[in-house]
Amino acid sequence: MAATASSPAQRPEVSSTQEARTGASPPQGAGGEPPQRTPFLLDFYPLEDAHHTRISRFFDELRAGRFVTTWCPRDQKLLWPPRVVCPDCHGEDLSWKELPRSGHLYAFSAVLAGAPLGMESQVPFVVGLVELQGVPLRIFSRIAPATYDRLEIGDPVELETYPVPGDRVFFRFRPTSPR
Amino acid sequence: MSGRRVALVGGGLSVFGVRAATWGELVQEAGRALFARLPELAGKDVDSLFVGAAQPERFAFQSHVAPLAAELLGLRPWKVVQRTELACASGQSAIRSAYAAIAAGLSDVAVAVGVEKMNLPSMAEANTSMADVLDRPWDGVQGATAPPFFAMCAQRHMKEFGTTPEQMARVSLKNHAFANSNPTAQFYEKRFTLEKLQKLPMVAPPLRLGDCSSMTDGAGAVLLVGEELARRYTDTPAWIAGTAQSTDFHNLANLPSLTEWGALRRAGQELYRTSGLGPGDIDFAELHDCFTISEIIEYEDLGFCPKGSGGRFIEEGESELGGRVPVNPRGGLLGCGHPLGATGIAQAVEVLDQFQSRVPPARRVAGAEVAMVHNLSGSANVHSLMLYRRGN
Repeated sequence: MAATASSPAQRPEVSSTQEARTGASPPQGAGGEPPQRTPFLLDFYPLEDAHHTRISRFFDELRAGRFVTTWCPRDQKLLWPPRVVCPDCHGEDLSWKELPRSGHLYAFSAVLAGAPLGMESQVPFVVGLVELQGVPLRIFSRIAPATYDRLEIGDPVELETYPVPGDRVFFRFRPTSPR
Repeated sequence: MSGRRVALVGGGLSVFGVRAATWGELVQEAGRALFARLPELAGKDVDSLFVGAAQPERFAFQSHVAPLAAELLGLRPWKVVQRTELACASGQSAIRSAYAAIAAGLSDVAVAVGVEKMNLPSMAEANTSMADVLDRPWDGVQGATAPPFFAMCAQRHMKEFGTTPEQMARVSLKNHAFANSNPTAQFYEKRFTLEKLQKLPMVAPPLRLGDCSSMTDGAGAVLLVGEELARRYTDTPAWIAGTAQSTDFHNLANLPSLTEWGALRRAGQELYRTSGLGPGDIDFAELHDCFTISEIIEYEDLGFCPKGSGGRFIEEGESELGGRVPVNPRGGLLGCGHPLGATGIAQAVEVLDQFQSRVPPARRVAGAEVAMVHNLSGSANVHSLMLYRRGN
């Protein structure tokens, strides 16, 4: 039986300890120009709104500055990326949990050539696996602003959000102790 | 292994490289090479066709490719006609599917074709398609293509086990040297030295250009038949003596380790268990060296050497001709190029060519009776293995 985004009973709820903070402003499009829509088949960013996904809550929270994912209470397990069904117990009763915004580099590299369309102008860029502080999650992310040669395994990083074309938002991690 | 025995009896390849040829033209070249090698084979006898193709939709703007390939090869299969997709392992998937169909008695005579056309007018568009192999909205979006992922594996392997860039370069040197005796290889005429390899530009540090396989156009085709038909086509078939596959999760957050590929260990153990053979019985192996570090980790997780000593295994010449397990005498993905769908087929052709003593002495594994073929796909989260035994 499929739950829909419009049926609140089926939607994962944010637990009461993670009420919305105020003060975060929504991301602005570059230079206030109308957002340029990338052809869907060349667009890496997910469609974020509730018309397109049942985890639009993730992006709403991100826009408000919070990094969250789904939690399966039955398995007592964090699910990344956010899911609508627990892949282990297949339960639908998932809640949202806030994730730590800080972590450290478990592994990293840089893309110096061969970047996909839309990312060529960002070359060279650093990517890495970020081990989040205190939770068993290693998330792959862009590491920016950063220079490959100045990073080491174990360096601390912190989450930040940034605007994406099409009135969307995404996340990356920023090194917090630049060498 | 239960069921009917299955034999690989013939194969043919296009030249691999940056080719002035379309997807369909590559298929025709491979098919022509297969039919040229097997004069006894008539198109009307082929009851099934499996087409290994990773991304024809994005690389060639074409789907429903199995019937298209059938038309290009003049085949009208009436038992099974389908495409197999498993990214970098799509070609081996075609062979495994053909094997399963024949072993089950559904098919008697099957062609497995593998093909990829990767060099596009815009290589940035091609790279975009490579970035959708991983979990696109979460990992691909962050810039996760193969080079940075395998670079992280290399970085961790260097940290945990002391593997060196020079040891990685030695993998590249070995495989490129083998490719110098393989006229279908992309780098057939290109000579490298250890010094030269270590001065090539970085692609994704610590991986340099010579540590990475290429975006390649190419195709291959093989014929597989049920045991009672094998002698019709050849006196020296390659019998499928085992096959195994194992999987870890897809998103990079859900990958247990960068340096110990659990799915490969499990697939290897299953292959050894079901075949009754062990790492010491493998006369040579065609391993998936999409990057130099991949081959090093594969030595370890397939049990050719202890965990962490893959760098020493190459350094001490154990994967050269005359070593403990010669690896990639075809020239590997590093030397031959890596047209995703075609690679697994080309590895199988190498096995048959080795068994039939059709390769030049510079890459011949004398007296080879048992050969392993390995492909990984995605973030090394899927591993596919086949074992072949020389028929007499």
